[in-house]
Amino acid sequence: PSARMPVQATTPTAAATAQQDATMEMVPNLNAFVTFNPPAFFNERPALKRLVHIAIERAVREIVTPVVDRSVTIAGISTREMIIKDFAMEPNEEKMRKAAHLMVQNLAGSLALVTCKEPLRVSMANIIRTLFLQNGFTDQNMPEQSILMTVNDNLDLACSVIEKAAMEKAIPEIEESLANAFNTRKKHRERTGQPYYDMATYQSSRYPASLPEPLRLKPTGLSPQQLRVYEDFARMPRQAIMPSTFEADRNVRTPLNVKADAGQGYPFNTNEHGYGSAPIPLSAHQALEKFVQIVSELDK
Amino acid sequence: QQQQQQYRLSSIEDEKIYHLILELTHPVNREQALLELSKKREQFEELALVLWHSYGVMSALLQEIVSVYPLLAPSGLTAHASNRVCNALALLQCVASHPETRGMFLNAHIPLFLYPFLNTTSKTRPFEYLRLTSLGVIGALVKNDNTEVITFLLSTEIIPLCLRIMETGSELSKTVAIFIVQRILLDDMGLAYICQTYERFYAVGTVLSNMVHQLVDTLAVRLLKHVVKCYLRLSDNPRAREALRQCLPEPLRDATFAQALKDDINTKRCLSQLIFNLSDNGPAN
Repeated sequence: PSARMPVQATTPTAAATAQQDATMEMVPNLNAFVTFNPPAFFNERPALKRLVHIAIERAVREIVTPVVDRSVTIAGISTREMIIKDFAMEPNEEKMRKAAHLMVQNLAGSLALVTCKEPLRVSMANIIRTLFLQNGFTDQNMPEQSILMTVNDNLDLACSVIEKAAMEKAIPEIEESLANAFNTRKKHRERTGQPYYDMATYQSSRYPASLPEPLRLKPTGLSPQQLRVYEDFARMPRQAIMPSTFEADRNVRTPLNVKADAGQGYPFNTNEHGYGSAPIPLSAHQALEKFVQIVSELDK
Repeated sequence: QQQQQQYRLSSIEDEKIYHLILELTHPVNREQALLELSKKREQFEELALVLWHSYGVMSALLQEIVSVYPLLAPSGLTAHASNRVCNALALLQCVASHPETRGMFLNAHIPLFLYPFLNTTSKTRPFEYLRLTSLGVIGALVKNDNTEVITFLLSTEIIPLCLRIMETGSELSKTVAIFIVQRILLDDMGLAYICQTYERFYAVGTVLSNMVHQLVDTLAVRLLKHVVKCYLRLSDNPRAREALRQCLPEPLRDATFAQALKDDINTKRCLSQLIFNLSDNGPAN
């Protein structure tokens, strides 16, 4: 997979267009959530509001396919490898499936969000400018400030569409790549009445068996405590970040934030106070020591 | 062997390590465990294997990484958050370094989760530290000659990320970034890839040339060493050699760096070899 996102979208193929349509259908009422800043400027010019709607939708359409494809591919591969390894001694395919879904959705959504944000910011502003130019504005009287503020206010909304698309596409992707692992467990149990163990994976290294008790996989399957590692993919962002009340309020406007309540959301705006409690400053000495260590390891 | 292993498993220090690794899978205790393990990682040579094969640890480390993504907006990353994720990256660096885990680490595409960190541009210290540590993981991957690693990195286009850091990063980040590019160039496939189109050669050549001009002022010898070696390696490719005959920066041709390199025989030799390769007496095309 290509790690670099083409900012300029290529001409979409028929399949890509179909997917984009499907993507947009997931958010049929996106326009209802678009905000305008400053409101007075746009309220006096309703035609411009429509152009902003078009611009946001176009910017999302241009970028959604490459971002979602790449994020889902990477998330799918990493998830598959971790699940196969960690669930080698777990005969219950439903536990395996649940963990895989939680992980792949979180990874795909996270990657999509972090990849699309800056390109979307640039592209939304560019498209709005172009549309405004075609509709009577000139470079001289372009309301640059209003464009930037409006882009800024709607960026999270646009990003959340892409994030959601990635999270949804990730499910069939992982279902397909783990289909064999799920089926083998089910069939083995149905045929023999015995639980299935993936001995090929378990024995591929001398290590899993020689690990001390709590770290090792056991034929009794995974404990509820162990399964929490994967359940944490659904809880994680809310634990890591405590958005301020102001930001929480602000996010209410975003229709897709409902999944934040399901534990899978991302605070869209964070600031210096957002992470953890008391920040531990990195001492210059400590940092330097680490730098020198890294470089000396490399620079042999 | 068996007895030795038994002994190893029973030592108290190892028990402590195992306990810390187990703590990595518990969100509440994870931060402390990351800190202590990253300090101890040198003491325990099989740490990479234990991290990889212990249930849930790699997935927990991935959680640490993606949980930082929402903070990457400019000014969102605190020193605290940066330190914490860098401790997780230090453990991934172990996994990337170890010959028995490197392949699985690549196969699971985990390095790609570091690219968003390399793609940041903020100059603040927490970001600089995050980029440097992430580069350290990629650096650990390329440290040994390994075609699998080079293939992976080329197919994921790490080069543009490294090039930008070589232009705008701190001196240490630049050094690690150019180290990665140099290792890619040293591989035949990597050299061919970079010289395959004029655009790629030009992108690398421009950044190297800008670095030379910066080095005239900073005289950072370690960086200069890598720059010279990158040029020398590029001169092994006939088309690149032809282009370099036109565009090798002047400070490398004259005595600008003579004083800076006076104690570095190896780099001086590389520089002479480079000049020779580009001369009329150099390899024919």
